Amino acid sequence: MISSELRDEIADFINAYALAIDDGELERWPEFFANDCLYKIIAKENFESGLPLGLLLCDSQGMLQDRKEAFSKLNVFGPRSWRHMLGAVQASKSDDQIRARTSFVIFETLAGEDTHILCAGEYRDILIRENDKLKFRERLCVYDTTMIPNSIVRPI
Amino acid sequence: MSGAPLNWPDGNDRVPYWVYTDQGNYERELEKIFYGPVWNYAGLECEIPNAGDFKGTQIGEQSVIVVRDDEGNINALVNRCAHRGVKLCEQDKGSFHEIICPYHQWAYDLKGNLLGVPFHRGVKGNGGMPEDFSMKENGLDILRVHVRNGGIFVTMSDEAPPFEAYMGERILGYYDRELDGRALRLLGHSRQRIGANWKLMLENIKDSHHASLLHVFFVTFGLFRVDNESRIEMDDTGLHTALSSIRGKQELNDGTAQMRSFDSDLELSDPNLLDVIPEFEGDQTVVMQTIWPNVILQQQSNTLATRQIVPKGPNAFELHWTFFGYETDDEKMTERRLRQANLMGPAGLVSIDDGQILERTQKGILAHPGKSGVVELGGRDTEDADHMVTEVALRAFYKGYRKVMGL
Repeated sequence: MISSELRDEIADFINAYALAIDDGELERWPEFFANDCLYKIIAKENFESGLPLGLLLCDSQGMLQDRKEAFSKLNVFGPRSWRHMLGAVQASKSDDQIRARTSFVIFETLAGEDTHILCAGEYRDILIRENDKLKFRERLCVYDTTMIPNSIVRPI
Repeated sequence: MSGAPLNWPDGNDRVPYWVYTDQGNYERELEKIFYGPVWNYAGLECEIPNAGDFKGTQIGEQSVIVVRDDEGNINALVNRCAHRGVKLCEQDKGSFHEIICPYHQWAYDLKGNLLGVPFHRGVKGNGGMPEDFSMKENGLDILRVHVRNGGIFVTMSDEAPPFEAYMGERILGYYDRELDGRALRLLGHSRQRIGANWKLMLENIKDSHHASLLHVFFVTFGLFRVDNESRIEMDDTGLHTALSSIRGKQELNDGTAQMRSFDSDLELSDPNLLDVIPEFEGDQTVVMQTIWPNVILQQQSNTLATRQIVPKGPNAFELHWTFFGYETDDEKMTERRLRQANLMGPAGLVSIDDGQILERTQKGILAHPGKSGVVELGGRDTEDADHMVTEVALRAFYKGYRKVMGL
């Protein structure tokens, strides 16, 4: 069992991450991760079959920085809005590690077009404390969506 | 389109936009190309390693089951019950030892033979199938299969030439370079839907010079750039292409100086992403093959993948990516391939740009079927080139395409 205080803190943290991305504050994205970290977007079909391929994989702070640079400066894509909708967080704690699962849906709106669902899935997180602050040690984004509408042009 | 004449402009150096948007032309493409005398890519053997393993795939717009039978042979069966047309298998992958339709339980073996029909002989003397009902003639539609070094190809036509002749010697040489007979290790799949005509995906790979202009990431790190030593080779039909190149340096020269996207100061915070090790004979670090009509077989550094193109009407296609390595890879090599996979796929450091730009192309041409695109870079010929400052592979492609389509 975890305290309701800790549960609130985790939920706030996970929500702040989603808002930072939806607000376009990509420069803050790596700050949500621990120094030693793993971020991976993986299709449910790969995840369940034990296949390792990620749609996006960063296994260091440096790779997060490089992705952030690419998304914000190098890649070519049209203007759009993103909206993460998160389900209630289910969290548990053992030793110094917190595990959390949260459902997500991301709505994407391209300029001049109808809003569509970019992907739906589940975060499977491992959180730790670094300098007293919560950080993702591991964030797996397991998506159900069979066919990604075009591309995913930001972290999710 | 509204019955406007489908004229082709004179010469090899123009491509009319109706070829990407016209519904009637698209329907003829399905018949003449995907269901015609071609070899369609259908998957990799490593996706279905054991007896009974199957994968669902699509050839043109038809759903097909590719399955390994008890003798280890690979069969391709049209995914439609012979009884009432029910789609037999809804999963993308799995394992079974017979195929049973849930509607009226017609049962088939893994070769597509009809094994049993409930109430065949009737119930209490009533009903049943007529005496002359032929089990043999009511099996699943079976497609011809050719497997080469782990790659699975199928054809719906009796007219398709032998696979090796279809590929031609040179393209087959590049194919065998990557699929060299070593057992493959499946790393995973990703899938995306792009709102553009399916041919634009092939063109994207045949059009070598766009990479130097669109893909800042490629350009800056020299992974694929016009000033790199390169070759563009076609088969006799012009429909298959192999593009090969050797990685260049991050330096300012007369090529990079013309690319607004070049940034000589950009550095990776974690150079592990581009920790590339040579693994094939020869110096080429990139070989991108478009194998007519539906697959791209690629090596970019240590990323190996197929991209299967599934057309969805004239204005959309799906791209099914399969990433792989070799069974002989050690753990470090697998990690390297997985890290470099960041370059490709629906969130790829470079392929994001392609998905976006193809959709923008379709939006640009949609209302202009009477206009044409210009493919004059590098001249107006259709011969192989030893550089990539050329649109020659597009010219050769449409020369071959017009022949196939009778245009």
